[in-house]
Amino acid sequence: MLSLAGAIFLGWSLGANDAANVFGTAVSSRMIRFGTAAAVASVFVVLGAAVSGRFGIETLKGLTSMNLDQAVVVSVAAAATVTLMTVLGLPVSTSQAVVGAIVGIGLLNGRLNLAGLGKVGACWLGTPVGGALCAIMIYRFLGYWYNRAPVNIFQADQILRWSMLVAGAYGAYALGANNVANVTAVFVGAGLLDTMQAALIGGFAIALGVITFSRPVMETVGNKLVRLDPFSALVVVLAQAVTVHLYTCVGVPVSTSQAVIGAVLGIGLVKGMNTVSAGTLKHILLAWFISPAVSCCLALAIDFGIHLRYVPGP
Amino acid sequence: MLSFLFRKENRLMELIFKYVETLGRCRESFAEAMQGCVLHEEICQDFEFYLKQTHKHESRADDLREEINDLMYGDTLIPDSRGDIVELLQELDKIPHVFEIVLHMIQTQKLRLPGFLLPDIKELIRISLECCDLVISQVSAFFKKDAGLRALSNTIDTNESHCDHMERKIITGLFESGLDPFQKILIRDLVAQIGRISDQADRVSKFINILSMKRRV
Repeated sequence: MLSLAGAIFLGWSLGANDAANVFGTAVSSRMIRFGTAAAVASVFVVLGAAVSGRFGIETLKGLTSMNLDQAVVVSVAAAATVTLMTVLGLPVSTSQAVVGAIVGIGLLNGRLNLAGLGKVGACWLGTPVGGALCAIMIYRFLGYWYNRAPVNIFQADQILRWSMLVAGAYGAYALGANNVANVTAVFVGAGLLDTMQAALIGGFAIALGVITFSRPVMETVGNKLVRLDPFSALVVVLAQAVTVHLYTCVGVPVSTSQAVIGAVLGIGLVKGMNTVSAGTLKHILLAWFISPAVSCCLALAIDFGIHLRYVPGP
Repeated sequence: MLSFLFRKENRLMELIFKYVETLGRCRESFAEAMQGCVLHEEICQDFEFYLKQTHKHESRADDLREEINDLMYGDTLIPDSRGDIVELLQELDKIPHVFEIVLHMIQTQKLRLPGFLLPDIKELIRISLECCDLVISQVSAFFKKDAGLRALSNTIDTNESHCDHMERKIITGLFESGLDPFQKILIRDLVAQIGRISDQADRVSKFINILSMKRRV
C-alpha cells in the first residue's frame, strides 16, 4: 500500500486541479453550487475510470517495462514535478509529467516503445487543436438550435443550467477515463495491480482530490479564464469533454487544461474575438517541453539516489 | 409538460408580468390625471384621486420589483441573466417615478397651464404615453421571446425624437409669451419632466435590444 502513496498523492492533486476544467466556470459564476459539482464530478470520475480507464492504462503500461521500485519512482517523480512546477507557477501537465518520468525509466532500462511514445506525442499536439475544432462544431450546432428553441428566457436559463451539469458530468467521466492512467498505470506494468484495481484506486484518488481541495482551484481558475457568456462556457466544457473522451478511445492520457484552452480559442475563432492571449499559448508550448523534461530528470535522479550504496573503504 | 422543472422560473415570469401590468395601471392613472384633469382651463376635482392611484400603483410596482429581486437572488436564473433583469427593471421603474413627479409638481406648485400651450402639451403627453405603451409591449415581447423587438424600438426612437422636438417648441413658445417669468420657469421644468418619459422609454427600449442581441449566439 505504501508503494501506492505517490500515486494516490498524484491522483489527489490531479483531482484537485483538473476538476476546475470541468466545473470551474459553472462554480465560479455561481451557476452550480460547489457541493453539487463536487458530488457529480466525484461519482463520474470514478465511473469513467472504471468503465473506460483501461485504454490509457494499456498505453502507458506499454511504453516500457519496469519493476515495482521503478513504478514508485515514476509516480513520485511525476507527483514531485507537478507540485514543484505548481509552486513555481510554471505550466504543468500531469499526463506529460508521468510520460516524462516513464521515459526516464525507459532510458535507464534501455527499453522504450518509440511507436507508443510517438502516438502519445502526436496526441499532445492534437489536444488543443482538437479542443478548438470540437468547440467550433459544437458552438455552431448547438447555437443553431438554441436560437430557434421555442422557450422563453427563463426556461432557456434553466436549460443552460441543467446542460452545464450534464456537460460537467460528462467532462468528469472523460477526466476519470483519460487521466486515471497517469495515476496507476505504472503499477499495472509493474504487476502490483490488475487493470480494474488500478482504475478504481486511481479513480477514487482523483475523486478524493475533487472533494477535498478543488473548491479554491475552481474559484480561482474559473475567474482566471476569459469571461465567457454562459452558452460559450457550456460549449467549452462539452468540447473539452468530447476531446478528452476521443483521446481516451485512442488510449492516450492528455491534458484537460490544454483541451480547455483549445476550446476557448475555438470560441474566439467563431465569435471573431481574441479569447486566448499569446502568453497562454506560450504556456502550452512550455508545458509540452518543461513538464516531461523535468519529470524525466527527476525520475533519473531519484532512481540514481535510491540505488546509491555505501561501500566501506579497504 | 415539464413545468415542474421551471417552477421558480414560472413564478418569476408571473411576477414580472404582474409588474408590467401594474406599470400599465400606473400609466392609466397618470393619463387620466393629465388628459382628464390637467389639460383643461381648470384642474378637475378627480385630480387628487388619480394622483393617489398613480402613487398606489407606483408603490405596488416597487414592491413587486423587490419580490422579483428576492426570488432571483434566491437561486433562480443564472447570474448573468439576474444582473440584466435587475438592471432592466430598474430602468423601467424610472417611468412610473416620473409620472409621480409630474403629478406632484402640478399639485404642490399649483401649476395651471396657459391655454396657448395646451394643444402642444397634449400632443407631448400623447406621444410620451404612446412610448410608454410601446415599451411595455417590448418588455413583454422580450420576456416571451416574441419577434418584433427591433420594430418596436424603431417606433419608440421616432416618437422620442418627436417628443424632443415638441419639448423645444413648447419651451420656445413659453419664453416668447408674456407670462410671469417665475411661472415660465415652473412650466419649463414641468415640460422637461414630461419629456423624460419618452427619453426613459427610449433608454429602456435600447437596453432591451442589447439584451436580446446578447442572448443570441
